[in-house]
Amino acid sequence: MANKKVSKKDIARLLEQWSQQFAVLAPSKESGVAAMAEWDGKDTGFLDWYRNTVVPPKASFLPPMEEMFRFQKGEEGYNIEPAPKAERNQLIFGIRPCDARAMAILDMTFKDAYEDPYYLSKRKSAVLVGLGCTNPCESCFCTSMGTSPTDPTNVDLMFINIGDEFLVKEVTDKGKELIAKTKGLKEATKDDEAKAEQSKKTAYDRVTRKLDTEGIKDRLLASFDDEEYWEKVAAKCISCGICTLLCPTCFCFDINDEMVKGEGTRFRSWDSCGFPLYSKMPMENPRQEKWRRVRQKVCHKYEFYPMTFDVIACTGCGRCIRLCPVNWDITQVIESVPAKIEARK
Amino acid sequence: MEQKLRQEAKALLEQNKVDWIIGFEPGSLKFTATPLITRDKDDTGRLVINPFMVNNLADFLTGLKGRVGIVAKGCDSRSIVSLIQDNKLVREDVVILAVPCPGLIDLVKVEKLVGKDRDELDDITREGDKVIIKVDGQKKEFATTQVLFDHCLACELPTPQEYDILLGEVRPPAPELEVSGQNIAKLKETPPAERWEFWKNEFSRCIRCYACRNACPACFCQRCFVEETEPQWVMPVPRWQDNLIFQIVRNIHVAGRCTDCGECERVCPVNIPLRSLTREMYGIVDELFSFKSGMDKEALPLMAHYEQEEAEDLFR
Repeated sequence: MANKKVSKKDIARLLEQWSQQFAVLAPSKESGVAAMAEWDGKDTGFLDWYRNTVVPPKASFLPPMEEMFRFQKGEEGYNIEPAPKAERNQLIFGIRPCDARAMAILDMTFKDAYEDPYYLSKRKSAVLVGLGCTNPCESCFCTSMGTSPTDPTNVDLMFINIGDEFLVKEVTDKGKELIAKTKGLKEATKDDEAKAEQSKKTAYDRVTRKLDTEGIKDRLLASFDDEEYWEKVAAKCISCGICTLLCPTCFCFDINDEMVKGEGTRFRSWDSCGFPLYSKMPMENPRQEKWRRVRQKVCHKYEFYPMTFDVIACTGCGRCIRLCPVNWDITQVIESVPAKIEARK
Repeated sequence: MEQKLRQEAKALLEQNKVDWIIGFEPGSLKFTATPLITRDKDDTGRLVINPFMVNNLADFLTGLKGRVGIVAKGCDSRSIVSLIQDNKLVREDVVILAVPCPGLIDLVKVEKLVGKDRDELDDITREGDKVIIKVDGQKKEFATTQVLFDHCLACELPTPQEYDILLGEVRPPAPELEVSGQNIAKLKETPPAERWEFWKNEFSRCIRCYACRNACPACFCQRCFVEETEPQWVMPVPRWQDNLIFQIVRNIHVAGRCTDCGECERVCPVNIPLRSLTREMYGIVDELFSFKSGMDKEALPLMAHYEQEEAEDLFR
């Protein structure tokens, strides 16, 4: 089936149409911090500045905080009132292939392993419109992690830059249905297809950071008790939550109740295995030392997730490298994991 | 200077004068340096000195056992001295390798000036009071006042006063207080209601990663109030109200310890202008008590001692 195309200057009109039906989210910057936010109805300036968001799009499905339910103390126990649901379904415009793959990875936990109603109520109804990268960051290593700057696999529609226009690929039925109802798109020509191929290749070649993950699961298994190695790796980590909270595949959360005068709310909010409190238990903390927490983070992504779901829970988006206060670089760490515990002096 | 640093650091480890060396090595991204924390003398060959060595290395001192040789810019040295003042560190346990610092380059400012992401720049070099940026085959020249971190522009101590080995020449303080305090001055002129809205908005972005706290050498509490669960002092839910309370309490806790190193603001992944709070507190502490943390290791810590003449009526 032939692909469609749309002119860059018509993107606003396209989003306007979709806004009738969806809550359209698009890259937006506040105080220099890019995140997916409700589209303001006119600005498409992000097409020029947008490389990727600081806050990953997972935040639209697994928000930094959300109300789970409210409760009141009644005569006989508590009355539970579900938290109000969003009225409109979300359409995320401009999600990058790395972040879309991250959504597929999150689905394995929140949809396949068990069904999380809070996540799924937003996820199932959402449309993901991907935007291929033209200018990957120095920290990007997506091509080593099973995706690429223009990979359409995990989105409903994929937009690929072909100069003044985008080639529009309908990936899923959901995407096809949306396009069928959308005005202003043209049929792509053979020439457009050729341009898209070129654009894909150029973007692919621009991802210069490579990571060899061959045998990583086994190497991590073998080096699990290598305290000396992990202490060295963890030395400069300051145990903040940036790399986990802002990772598109990290999903750990905390649950807290707040109650005032018999009325309360249960909240779910982002949590991080980098925090000592995360694993604190009444008698002890199995991850009191920093190196154990760093090891947990690395192993969860590169060993435990592959053991459970046969996929590495990292998509090479590079946020953890770029945003880290101490330039702790996961690619350097993964490459340095020893194949066995070496006899040391 | 770099060669001398490497030799000195290596010698310290070889002669067993220290157990650890903390310094900087080249980072994995352009225009970065990354902390190097090592016991291995061979690693000292990677030590660097450059305008991107942004971290306050004193942050790592309380986490290490044994004697430490530490590369210190003026700001790091003030944090080291502050830790000594607070009895968190024994002077004899550190060997301070003093690096006179001409100020560090704020890549966010560079990106704004050039209109390009840091990845797209070819080179950034410092030449006297100019910074030269190569981009798209062109050279762009900026004054240091345009591209150094705000806190560097207000630096009162570019060269450590407290040191064991001095690398290079002592640099005089050249505080550009006006430029450095521009944002704060603007905020102070804003009507309170508007200022409240400003902070409400800024703190709405906070994700409670605690990078500000963890990068801060003055935030050395082993148990932070935000992690207390019985009772719970503040909700871990990142609502702006809770985020603001966290930051206000943090700010009060580091009053008299904060040396205006600017790390809290630099590390914030969501660009909350935290230095506008900490620097203001720094100024208030100086105004009320004529006290600047980390300047004199013999001085008693501000919040842990009491002088008759400063007594308020309340306590008299």
